[in-house]
Amino acid sequence: MKLIFEYDEQNSGHLSDEDISITLPKDLTRTNLPLPNVSEIEVIRHYTNLSKKNFGVDVGFYPLGSCTMKYNPKINEDVARLEGFRDLHPFSPMDCIQGSLQLMWELEQQLKEITGMDVFSLQPAAGAQGELLGIMISKAYFKERNEKRTKAIIPDSAHGTNPATAAMCKHDTIVIPSDSRGNMDLQKFKQSLSSDVAVVMLTNPNTLGLFEENILDICDLAHKNGTLTYCDGANMNALFGITRPGDQGFDMIHLNLHKSFSTPHGGGGPGAGVLGVKSFLSDYLPTPRVVKQESKYILNNTKGKSVGRIRSFYGNFGMLVRAYSYILAWGTNIRKVSEYAVLNANYLLTLLKDVYELPYDRTCAHEFVISSKKFGEKSALNIAKRLMDYGFHPPTVYFPLIVNEALMIEPTETESKETLDKFALTLRVISDEIKENPELVRGAPYTTPIGRLDEVTAARKPNLRWIHPPKKS
Amino acid sequence: MDYIPITDIERNEMLKRIGISSIDELVKEFKPALKRKLNLSIPKSEFEIMRHMQDLAKKNIILKYFVGAGSYNHYIPSAVNHLLMRGEFSTGYTPYQAEMNQGTLQAIYEFQSFICLLTGMDVANASLYDGASALSEAALLSSSHNGRKRVFVQEGLHPQYFEVLKTYCDGADLELTNEIDDKTACVITQNPDFYGNIENPWELSERAHKVGALFITCVVEPTSLALLKAPASYGTDIVVGEGQSFGIPISFGGPYLGFIAVKDFLLKKIPGRICGMTTDSKGNEGFVLTFQAREQHIRRERATSNITTNQGLMALAATIYLALMGRSGLTTAAKLSYSRAHLLHDKLKNIGFEPLNKKPFYNEFLLRAPKPSDEIISILSEKGILGGLELGDDKILICCTETNTIQDIESYVSIIGETL
Repeated sequence: MKLIFEYDEQNSGHLSDEDISITLPKDLTRTNLPLPNVSEIEVIRHYTNLSKKNFGVDVGFYPLGSCTMKYNPKINEDVARLEGFRDLHPFSPMDCIQGSLQLMWELEQQLKEITGMDVFSLQPAAGAQGELLGIMISKAYFKERNEKRTKAIIPDSAHGTNPATAAMCKHDTIVIPSDSRGNMDLQKFKQSLSSDVAVVMLTNPNTLGLFEENILDICDLAHKNGTLTYCDGANMNALFGITRPGDQGFDMIHLNLHKSFSTPHGGGGPGAGVLGVKSFLSDYLPTPRVVKQESKYILNNTKGKSVGRIRSFYGNFGMLVRAYSYILAWGTNIRKVSEYAVLNANYLLTLLKDVYELPYDRTCAHEFVISSKKFGEKSALNIAKRLMDYGFHPPTVYFPLIVNEALMIEPTETESKETLDKFALTLRVISDEIKENPELVRGAPYTTPIGRLDEVTAARKPNLRWIHPPKKS
Repeated sequence: MDYIPITDIERNEMLKRIGISSIDELVKEFKPALKRKLNLSIPKSEFEIMRHMQDLAKKNIILKYFVGAGSYNHYIPSAVNHLLMRGEFSTGYTPYQAEMNQGTLQAIYEFQSFICLLTGMDVANASLYDGASALSEAALLSSSHNGRKRVFVQEGLHPQYFEVLKTYCDGADLELTNEIDDKTACVITQNPDFYGNIENPWELSERAHKVGALFITCVVEPTSLALLKAPASYGTDIVVGEGQSFGIPISFGGPYLGFIAVKDFLLKKIPGRICGMTTDSKGNEGFVLTFQAREQHIRRERATSNITTNQGLMALAATIYLALMGRSGLTTAAKLSYSRAHLLHDKLKNIGFEPLNKKPFYNEFLLRAPKPSDEIISILSEKGILGGLELGDDKILICCTETNTIQDIESYVSIIGETL
């Protein structure tokens, strides 16, 4: 499809700027603004047609493991666009922002109750920024205590963000292998707990979709070693009302509000990566913090031991509004979200485990990982592509790294039994296709707007932006 | 509300198929079990949610804003939101599977192109969280490029950006310094600066390059780029900034849109997603995420950054906004912002405010009030106007965009004039 830059020059319909004079020195101003002029109707058609080449939860089943692609209730879009939220300037006086501050304060109370943590910062813009804040806090905490701890323990099943975050704070990573049940190996963990380990970062349930069976021991051992425990809360969708990371012994957790709390993923954000901590770490959280004083809410800017700001203003506020509204809808029934997320995952797993290999034969949490190893090299990729022809978004593939030909499937609680049955049947059909007509699967997809793209050329001969073609003479 | 489509009969069938009799059996190893119900409010219907949220929203008071300082109240064409609300865009995720996400990918490619056209740079990424964290990522990038540990910041950087930069630098063991020498990783300047001043920072960029440091320009009000020289033209190696002005509501400070654009030689150091054009086996042009070997999901602890989810939908908003405004619309909006700001500036000067900008300004300016600034701000706010941002010592930072009408400007001046 042509680019927005490739339309013929059109009347863009804006009022003329001819009678607005500006008097800026020539050495500061540009002579040429190289943007296209396209009419409104063509812009609408352009992006409407682009949207038709896209796939979202609103289009169909999107079992992208670790990403919690659940339905995003439309009411939350409407409430985030209420004038009082959408049109509020962040530098408004305190008596003009009471609604926003109340919402932030109440959201913090809800998240504390759900996770068992003592205090939350709503500032981080995404999970990875929440993690970064967590490790910064750990660093500041040990600096204050004059302890030189520069290592982070991370299991081999972890998200890539965990080691990348540790590295941004100049921590070395100690990678602990998983044991035969998919847990972090407890013996190896114990052996690695030296006096320079600052933090252990765990995802629970882990990226294999399995609850860490030794979690209480792990947190206990870490604390006895003076090490902090950090929970990557990407998989919180399995735990609402069933168990709380704070009660498991975690000192910190980030939540991805765009996952468990159903704010839309937006084609890659915006998210929100709020960070919860136990009270002994609360002084290190960013400022300002919302404080309730009798019936008023204020912003407390006292810096003290705070690591400082991690984002301008108050975080991705519009996403906080959606998450808050989502929690209001569920209220005391929120446990049902996780119960059905776990039910759907285990049901789908049951329908598939005789055809695909299950590397760890356990009851799964809200997602599971199966392997297509027996169908040969690149089979997970081929299956993913073939699923598109049946109208499904593929699961996450080749992650976690410790499972060969991994397919990581997270159905979420918002899918019907009918959808799960159809998806399982399709994966079974594809497994037959691989045996009977492997070329068919290797050549997929056939029904998408475009076939498999040449990623090698994309990297070797980078074409990363549109360049104005030379004028024809 | 309940967003689970499974009936009780289906649930029982599913449990039977799994070979158990209750959901509790599935979660029995989740320990320690919470022995009580969560203490949350009683579930609300959609109607009740809307009522509750409307009541909360009404507790906020919307004023006529003459304040920017990192959050600019430009007009947003209606079409932007209509297109953003399409579920095909808003409910998808990072386009790992290119064949199914050509819409998002092409939009990212167009976004990268728009940012390069505006800044004059070679490569832009798919977005970062906000201007402040984008600036911080640029400092980390510089240090990783030349192995140096010191960051120089020219006066006039947005104070919150400075705070965020400091937080990131502390985390990464970088040091903020007052000198430019052979230990300096990068030299940072904001243009126009926090007080609205416009510079041609050519000399500063030469000083940076002379000692082998990278030169970073931070753009907080990007509509200024419609009128001002592209940062590449004065020797910038990395442009970062905030894209909120491009079709994104001020929304109490977020979600906003960080952007970063670099010269070619820094391509492999850039953080976050990048989209590239390529072809499929039949030669059809299409788009993929590329240079992924820089990123955390491949490179892990050796990644250029930990960023994954960025501000995708906000980048789409900016892309659609720029497409709708085009060269003509963006120029008009920028010229109007400029001329409204200068109109208010001159009128306030006439009634006794002291101009404090020593250089030309775009749509923000600094004045010293002829009487205590808190009185002025509170008089205006009683009349529904947020008159500016107080910076102490009776200094007020004032901003106009095309949404500040001449009528609003006149009433601002007359309200204050009456009290002097």
